[in-house]
Amino acid sequence: MQEILILGRGGQGAQTAGNLLARAFFAEGKFVQTFATYGGARRGTPVSASLRVSARPIRLRSNISRANALLCFDDSLLDRNFLALAARDAVVLVNSAAPPERFARLAQVMDGGRILPLDGRAIARRNEMGKVVNSALIGGLAAVLQAPDLEGLASVIKATAPARTAENIAACREAYGLVRAEMAEVAA
Amino acid sequence: MKDMPGTDAPRGALRLMSGNHAVAEGARLARPEVTPVYPITPQTPILEKLTELQSAGEFVTEMLTPESEHSVMATAMTASLSGARVFTATSSQGLMLMHELLHYAAGARATIVMFNVNRTPASPWGFWPDQLDSLSQRDTGWVQLYSESPQDSLDLVIQAFRLAERVRLPVMISHDAFYVSHAVEPVDVPAQDLVDGFLPPFEAEFRLDPDIGRSIGAPVDQATWNQSRRDMAEAMGRVIAEFTRFGAQWGRLTGRVHAPLQLYRTEDAEIVFVTLGSLAGTARVAVDMLRRAGMRAGLVKLCLFRPLPAEALRSALDGVPVALVLDRNYSVGTGGVLHQELKSALHGTANATRVHGLLTGVGGVDVPVEQLVDLAQEFRERVPENGPIWIDGHGR
Repeated sequence: MQEILILGRGGQGAQTAGNLLARAFFAEGKFVQTFATYGGARRGTPVSASLRVSARPIRLRSNISRANALLCFDDSLLDRNFLALAARDAVVLVNSAAPPERFARLAQVMDGGRILPLDGRAIARRNEMGKVVNSALIGGLAAVLQAPDLEGLASVIKATAPARTAENIAACREAYGLVRAEMAEVAA
Repeated sequence: MKDMPGTDAPRGALRLMSGNHAVAEGARLARPEVTPVYPITPQTPILEKLTELQSAGEFVTEMLTPESEHSVMATAMTASLSGARVFTATSSQGLMLMHELLHYAAGARATIVMFNVNRTPASPWGFWPDQLDSLSQRDTGWVQLYSESPQDSLDLVIQAFRLAERVRLPVMISHDAFYVSHAVEPVDVPAQDLVDGFLPPFEAEFRLDPDIGRSIGAPVDQATWNQSRRDMAEAMGRVIAEFTRFGAQWGRLTGRVHAPLQLYRTEDAEIVFVTLGSLAGTARVAVDMLRRAGMRAGLVKLCLFRPLPAEALRSALDGVPVALVLDRNYSVGTGGVLHQELKSALHGTANATRVHGLLTGVGGVDVPVEQLVDLAQEFRERVPENGPIWIDGHGR
């Protein structure tokens, strides 16, 4: 089973990101469970989404405390508390224009793994998406996990995007490509 | 609080949806004629989905939105007594505002089906999963069922109508806020034909009708009031057998058998968890982990809480040395409600099970599977205390 945590600010689309990823994994035949912070969540406050993906039905009904992959929509939210939820060798993808070195010290609290910045804002701008970063960030996360399949994810975006469908898909593909290249470079 | 768009994608018979939307789909399939509802977090997505289905022409019902939950229950009761099938849904403060009329509806033998999303009662204010709201309604005369998952919730709504109309008592089904209400998962939504075959239209035995001329709930003498409770007891007495029968029939139709108690790996168990609601899911995983580590663990899940399946509990625990009751609720001054109920069910029997009452997840604090594994190891040899034991959860 894979466990994924997404952290963002209310209105950025963290909850939607969890739902879109869930839908893409589900379309591949996986069992999924996703839920988002609720209660006091409102625009601008920290919100999180949790996603479990498994080949078998999911029975756990608890929070995720050891995530295989973490996605952070806002680098000002990336702190030790969030990183404490990372499993050993987890990859943390963070929406940030800063270079990877900026996160080197923070990464020391992790048990292996790494923090990978992805400039979602720049990708969104290049694809005429304004400030909407979630299609880029889920593309980046799919590259980190090597799942769900990029074409499947593109179909989910196509089926659900309320506007700018082509731009959303292009942003998703661009982020996927950038992160794939980055991951390959590290591996080499 | 709204469920996000884009989650309702089909895969074969399975569709991706939240627990609350699964409740709405179950209600749609049961074809209630009257649906009075008042919105409250975290029940609101049920109401939203029902109105969406109604405006799309997929849910044919008379939907009413009175000014409070108290009026919702008054509406539900009178509609039910006039012969209509009635569905409603609420949570926490809303359920407790209905309290007076919960007694009234059960005494009038209104066959309402109500879905409750378990949420902490105020104060302090919260939105968190805790079952005190519904468990504290245990003396109102309603049948109470507890769901573990979105799929369970859909299935139980349909079975609840069959049960209510069979024994002429109202039925309340509850699922935990957040972990079930807002968890988006694959759910099998049965075909309308299948549900119609299982659940025939409601034919009220007695009903209010100007053409008939009848009064229900008029003042009575002491002996008649006394008799009304004996009649309700007789109806409650039939619930276990009827639910067992309907649950098995539902199982033949869908592959998902429901029963008052669900037992998981208890045959040779040396220790069992006893719980209800969403904690049962995590407990199943804990049972498997403990078994792999060499401890013969099991799970007894109560799907039916009222009437308490006492005989089945005694039989399930017969020969089991240790039971850990996991209560996601706390009755101040006594302890976990399920702990109290289980002890009373075992009292006076030869059963020597050592029962520990563990307050896990009260107020919605997280209960990770590793914690349940640790608790089984810690309490296996301990001498039980009469009262409850507070367990620190994640987030505390």
